[in-house]
Amino acid sequence: MTDNITERFIEAAKRVGAEVLRMNTLQDAVTYIKDTAKGNTLVPETSLVKRHHLRALLSEAGADVFTGKFRNAGELPGAGITFCNFCLADTGTVVLDSTDEEMRLATTLPEMHFILVDPTKILRDNLAAVEPMTAFHQGNEPKFIAYITGPSRTADIERVLTIGCHGPREVHILLVAGISSDLMEN
Amino acid sequence: MATNDTYKKSVEAAIANPKLSKALHLFGDAYLIARENAYRGLDFEAMRTELAAIKDEVRVRRKELLAEFIQNAEAAGSKVFIAKDTKEANDYVINLAKQKGARHIAKSKSMVSEEAHLNKALEAHGIKASETDLGEWIIQLAGQRPSHMVMPAIHMFKEEVAELFTKECGTRLTPEIKTLVDHARLRLRKEYFNADIGLTGANFLVANTGGIGLVTNEGNARLCATLPKVHVVFAGIHKLVRNIEDAIKITRLLPRNATGQLLTSYITWIRGAVPVNGEQKEQHIVLIDGGREALYESKVCQNALRCIQCGACANVCPVYQTVGGHVFGSIYISAIGIILTAFYEGLDKAKEITRACIGCRSCVAVCPSKIDLEEIILHLRNEVTKDFGMGVVKNVAFKAVMKNRGLFHSMVRAASKLQGPITHKNRSDSERRIIRHLPLHFMDRDFTEWRDLPSIAPKSFRDQFDSIPQQVTNPQYRVGFFVGCGADFVYPEVGVSMIKVLNSLNVEVVFPKSQNCCGIPALYAGDTETGVDLAKQSVQAFTDAKVDYILCICPTCTMAIKRDFVDRLADHPQWSAKAMALSSKTMDASAFMENILGASAKLKAMGTGKAVTYHDSCHLKRGSNVWKEPRALLLASGHDIKEMKNSDRCCGFGGTYSFLSHPQISRQITKDKVETIQDTGVKTVATDCPGCMIMLKGAVGKADETIRCVHTMELLAEALDKTK
Ligand code: SF4
Ligand code: SF4
Repeated sequence: MTDNITERFIEAAKRVGAEVLRMNTLQDAVTYIKDTAKGNTLVPETSLVKRHHLRALLSEAGADVFTGKFRNAGELPGAGITFCNFCLADTGTVVLDSTDEEMRLATTLPEMHFILVDPTKILRDNLAAVEPMTAFHQGNEPKFIAYITGPSRTADIERVLTIGCHGPREVHILLVAGISSDLMEN
Repeated sequence: MATNDTYKKSVEAAIANPKLSKALHLFGDAYLIARENAYRGLDFEAMRTELAAIKDEVRVRRKELLAEFIQNAEAAGSKVFIAKDTKEANDYVINLAKQKGARHIAKSKSMVSEEAHLNKALEAHGIKASETDLGEWIIQLAGQRPSHMVMPAIHMFKEEVAELFTKECGTRLTPEIKTLVDHARLRLRKEYFNADIGLTGANFLVANTGGIGLVTNEGNARLCATLPKVHVVFAGIHKLVRNIEDAIKITRLLPRNATGQLLTSYITWIRGAVPVNGEQKEQHIVLIDGGREALYESKVCQNALRCIQCGACANVCPVYQTVGGHVFGSIYISAIGIILTAFYEGLDKAKEITRACIGCRSCVAVCPSKIDLEEIILHLRNEVTKDFGMGVVKNVAFKAVMKNRGLFHSMVRAASKLQGPITHKNRSDSERRIIRHLPLHFMDRDFTEWRDLPSIAPKSFRDQFDSIPQQVTNPQYRVGFFVGCGADFVYPEVGVSMIKVLNSLNVEVVFPKSQNCCGIPALYAGDTETGVDLAKQSVQAFTDAKVDYILCICPTCTMAIKRDFVDRLADHPQWSAKAMALSSKTMDASAFMENILGASAKLKAMGTGKAVTYHDSCHLKRGSNVWKEPRALLLASGHDIKEMKNSDRCCGFGGTYSFLSHPQISRQITKDKVETIQDTGVKTVATDCPGCMIMLKGAVGKADETIRCVHTMELLAEALDKTK
């Protein structure tokens, strides 16, 4: 069942123009990112990033991990790298709690966005998201939740679909088993 | 569009520019395919019924939900301001900007800010607003207003965009879409960084979280909401939903219906004052009434506020496709635009566009919020007539369309494709129902409450003709067939039957394709000019066809060609001579069969013994004095005729347009007719007029489903089939 959902997610995400790859280990994903990303690489310090020492892994692999405040990384940084909270199989969507500003900057400004996804976090469809989405909004803390479905796009000139308008032009989804199964963390 | 005259000119200008119309048609076709794919495996009807229910509940509970929203938003650090009109909303933003010393606002798309003319108001106070949505930016540079809700610059071509960008940046840009998009990406980036305030719209306001939702593709709204220190949300009060589940359900419909996407690139859920540059953001939510409360209170029109602004009602609208959104709309365009214009800008502003709707109901078929847009427009049209009189406003757009045969027929084709979801499933093909169709939309009122209207046939007669086999060697006559709109678009099977019967009588049928509507509906609506134009088109078509006779299966058409064309063209001598020549050769199909061919003698061998009753159409009996002929043919083909009482009494369809402006009278007449038919106990009623068929099929069908209403030609063809 899970695998079926994963396949559906992969197909849907590819259909909207995302790159989706299955990776054997986190290290393989790191190597892929290092080989693909160019320029300033923004890696917000989330709990999963810390737990998996992602920044260190990327630096060691030779990626250009940006160390300052992301606002100072330029208007068009090269890449942003994040984990995710969960995904939606029917639409190929990645859901990210982006309340932390560095998270928002890392996913809106760069040319490329790399997302590390644990396949157990893929939900059947967007109706299945009602529960975790409601859970996010318990209490009254400020929240910024982003659904990301493929790269930025527009059809505003002559109705021709064009990729890469104001958000990332490329979205790379890297499936790695065993990195997290908690929908509330990223 | 201050006056009828400027409106008329804008319509003419739009029609004279087929480039836009062509682009919109292509878009409309591609849209339908994309949309169909996007809904595959889902039950659109069930989904939209659910959405309508959600929105209705929100309407009823709106005060309570608004209070809940405000409480939750404030708890999360937002400031909420309720603006009774757009002026108050603008003033709030201006004051806020002044307070903050802000000179620059980066904006993402917000239709209500267009409604408020916010940019202009800001400019007057020296505050610069930069649109960052690509389409909105193009429009801003061009100094125009959006012509589509989802794609504001849909009316522009890449060359024009390149021109605008070149002028703005000073370097020449080539008119390549990719180049232009890349330019916008780079150029607008600094706007987000430099802006003091970011302003976005909202697709929903979630009451139980106090958060907003943004459904977008480009990514600019995310940047506007992230980079500047202050975030202003500009939204109409009708965007409220109860909870996240409601909002998610909207996201299942909105992108699918807007652009055929399963989901847009981004859906952004923002609640409260999120962090910004190490501090807390200031978030101001400006909720605008601006006529919405009045709309909620209008029993007849309130459903319009279910709208989720997907823009689909424009995509499929033949009038929109013909003249574009700048003509067919104001701030909001097309079907929903007519209604919102009437409420937000005043009925006066909406009077022309209210008349421009042709009543095809395509918009109703695609609306994800299940709004009966056409019904509401019809109501508003009556209000316009009440307030401004009948003759003041001419239906200019419709007129232009009727005269253009290709356009008219492709519109009917489009409407036929779309009506699928709203026609009754369980009825047989000949009992297809419901749609106010062309050109009968001239009937300003609807009577579906007491009788069904037929739907447009999946394939019109004109589209079928070439594939109808005619095995006539050595025909004794070649006749031209004037099909008429009713038989062409609603009952093409009547024409097919007629050909079968004529072929068996050794007559070949020719169908001149450039014939158009007989023009009677236009004349009834007081539009003589269109009537003359239509007459010329058909006169030319049949003169060129060089046929022995011209046959009709609609007595109104027969009258039009026999009498009307000659009168109508009296001022144009060479035309009236041609019309005269045609007049003497024109007759009703049953009259031709009987009086010219002597068919009843030849049909003698047939025998079915089926009982029928016969309804005399007003125009056939009193217009052409034909009533013996169909009876003779029916008898000869083996039918028993059981006469109804007053068989030549009007069925209520009208024949004359005046009946149609008196629906109560019309209704009573039809009721009488149905009773007399039922009294005969016969289960088949024959007639020779598609107009009567529309009326009788609808009304009889509602009274007794076992009674069948058919054209005489159909019964003759069936008898032929049986004897074979
Ligand atoms: S009913 Fe009127 S508004 Fe709706 S699609 Fe047809 S012409 Fe357009
Ligand atoms: S009225 Fe219906 S079809 Fe038109 S924009 Fe609104 S929701 Fe979409």
